[in-house]
Amino acid sequence: MENAIELTNVSKSFGKFRAVDNVSLAVPKGSMFGLLGPNGAGKTTTIRMIMNITAPDSGDIRILGQPMDRKMQNRIGYLPEERGLYRKMKVIDHLYFLAAIKEVGREAAKARIADWLDKMELRPWLNKKVDELSKGMQQKIQFIATIVHDPDILILDEPFSGLDPINVALMRDYFLEFRSRGKTIVFCTHVLEQAEKLCDEITLMARSKKILEGSIREIRHRFSQDLLRISMDASLEEVRILPGVATAKALDGTFVVGLNPGTDRREFLKRTLEKYRIDAFSQKEPELEEIYIDAVKSAGIEDRTIE
Amino acid sequence: MNWKKTFAIIRREYVERVRTKAFWVATLLIPILFLGYVAIQISISRKTGGERTLVVIDTTDKLYAPLVKELADTEARQKKDGGDSRGPHWTLEQRKVEGGLDATKATLQKQVLDKKINGYLILEPQLLGKEQVEYYSTTVSDFIALNQLQSAINRIWMRQKMTARGLPSDLSAELEKSIDLKAFKVTEKGAAEEKGAGIIAAIVLLILMYSTFFMYGYQVMRGVIEEKSNRIVEIIVASVRPVELMAGKIIGIGLVGLTQYFVWSLVAMNLSLPAFAGLMSSGQMGMPKIPVSMLGYFILFFILGYFLYASVYTMIAAPFNTDQEAQQLAMIPMIMIVGGIAIYPAVMNNPTGGVALFFSIFPFTASLIMFLRTALSEPPGWQVALSIVSLISTTFLLSWLAGRIYRVGILMYGKKPTIPEIIRWVRYSPGKAVQPPVKQAS
Repeated sequence: MENAIELTNVSKSFGKFRAVDNVSLAVPKGSMFGLLGPNGAGKTTTIRMIMNITAPDSGDIRILGQPMDRKMQNRIGYLPEERGLYRKMKVIDHLYFLAAIKEVGREAAKARIADWLDKMELRPWLNKKVDELSKGMQQKIQFIATIVHDPDILILDEPFSGLDPINVALMRDYFLEFRSRGKTIVFCTHVLEQAEKLCDEITLMARSKKILEGSIREIRHRFSQDLLRISMDASLEEVRILPGVATAKALDGTFVVGLNPGTDRREFLKRTLEKYRIDAFSQKEPELEEIYIDAVKSAGIEDRTIE
Repeated sequence: MNWKKTFAIIRREYVERVRTKAFWVATLLIPILFLGYVAIQISISRKTGGERTLVVIDTTDKLYAPLVKELADTEARQKKDGGDSRGPHWTLEQRKVEGGLDATKATLQKQVLDKKINGYLILEPQLLGKEQVEYYSTTVSDFIALNQLQSAINRIWMRQKMTARGLPSDLSAELEKSIDLKAFKVTEKGAAEEKGAGIIAAIVLLILMYSTFFMYGYQVMRGVIEEKSNRIVEIIVASVRPVELMAGKIIGIGLVGLTQYFVWSLVAMNLSLPAFAGLMSSGQMGMPKIPVSMLGYFILFFILGYFLYASVYTMIAAPFNTDQEAQQLAMIPMIMIVGGIAIYPAVMNNPTGGVALFFSIFPFTASLIMFLRTALSEPPGWQVALSIVSLISTTFLLSWLAGRIYRVGILMYGKKPTIPEIIRWVRYSPGKAVQPPVKQAS
């Protein structure tokens, strides 16, 4: 499959600080791609390089198979993490302006803007100043501005921050609709729950490096090999000292048990059944969050901002 | 440069500013205030004076009668000339010294304070020997009236001295006449009489240029900071290169300035309407006629100076997030602009001297001083050219510097950068738009 975005061995330093260290990644066309990582992992710098706001020190960046240039910039919609609007401008003028700097003329932008304003029920606010809008409305305007030139690729940096749950759901629907039209979305966040619900593929960055990549199912699978969820009449302490148990924790009245590598699952259950009553057991799908914490920890980073 | 995108920026900067009420209030209010000021000046000078009652203590007994006559003559002459610097109508009253000079003075003092009289004048031999007379009043700042009084007394005193030496009175009348010095400004087109109106126009334009450098330079600074504090700048640089954003902003705001000038000159043209011209010509300075060449130089040097200072202000604004943070560095262009205006009297005195030459070439004062020089005298062509070259090349250098600081600075949030850090931004290699790591969001 052709890649919408392809980074090969990209590095970027600011003085002595290495913000992005030899990162390669490929975003398949038409996918919803998650770029995950704790704050300061190098996500924003990576995106800025993709957007041609910052140039990489080394490595190659290709967008839709071509090197990034000014024309290509017009085919991407970018919603930065640090985003705002001119407060004194009228909503409609503002949208025309943001379309104009993507080289979309007034006529071409008109219908699309009207359409989106209707969808988001913002039409009555057309001639109001940005100042008079609520924060949620302003974020919707920013979203319209991101797609007003009908881009092929959408890059969204923490798109849900500051939105209420209703608007989060609304936005998510727009993103999904966008993808259903064959467009590519890069979704950048440190909130795993969102990525888990939306993304087909993720790349995890920590401390300027890529530390994990793949489809969500594949990653889950990779990490779920020896994880069991058991409901049994024992205390956590008793579970902990069972032979073959590496980790154990209580979860909703059950136990999540990690087995030592090489421990046979059937063997373990048989031995446990001799001593305790097992009501139910299943293979535990690991939460992405656990994977994330594990991976980030093994990369040597403590991150307390994970939600 | 992508001019289509740059034009979108220019358009936004221009339209959004020209649309504001503040712009039109400033644009229309300034000429209205100016005209109002002129009109008040004129009407005041027309009516100046009014009645003035003065008590004269003349112990010589020889000066009172001639003084009454002299002041009446002056008033009659002014009425005939229809000039504007009219003095008051004097009503004089002679008073004898009763119970000593000091006692008389005390009585009169009380009368002045009670507003029975406006003031009193003491003419006595002892004082006249020291060539002085004493005038007491509650207000001693009405120069026209005081001047009239002084010259009347002087003339009388001179005449009396001459008569005392035996000179014929027609000779003393002859001696009183003075010579008028008429000044002609020599230009390559010939000589033209210079009545001072041109110079006043030049100074008015100079002050206008000076204040618009401030006004629009400051607007550029505010604009850059606003985009950062609004957090819109990253959305924009995802579509537009920083240098385009910077150029668009500077050009857009510059056009706002030119629009303001255009409106002002429309108002100024209306000044030549008969009604107002009549009012003005009776005014002190007469109708200032602004030569086309002066206007041309004005626009030229405004544009050159504006670009120079706009780059400086951009450079200052880019690293900071609030006006307050930038305020400290904003002193630098301020001092330079004020410097330009501070040395203008020296240039007025000697528009072709070394000081004038130096400051009309020195880029930060060149626009103001060279404009003034072109208005006062005709500086050699090479000097004008050198001044323009100096302005343009400095502007290029500064906008290059500003561009480098700008592209890094606009993406810098959080802590205030230090000067060495800013210098490091400039040294980042070209083609690699670099910015420091983003402050971690909490």
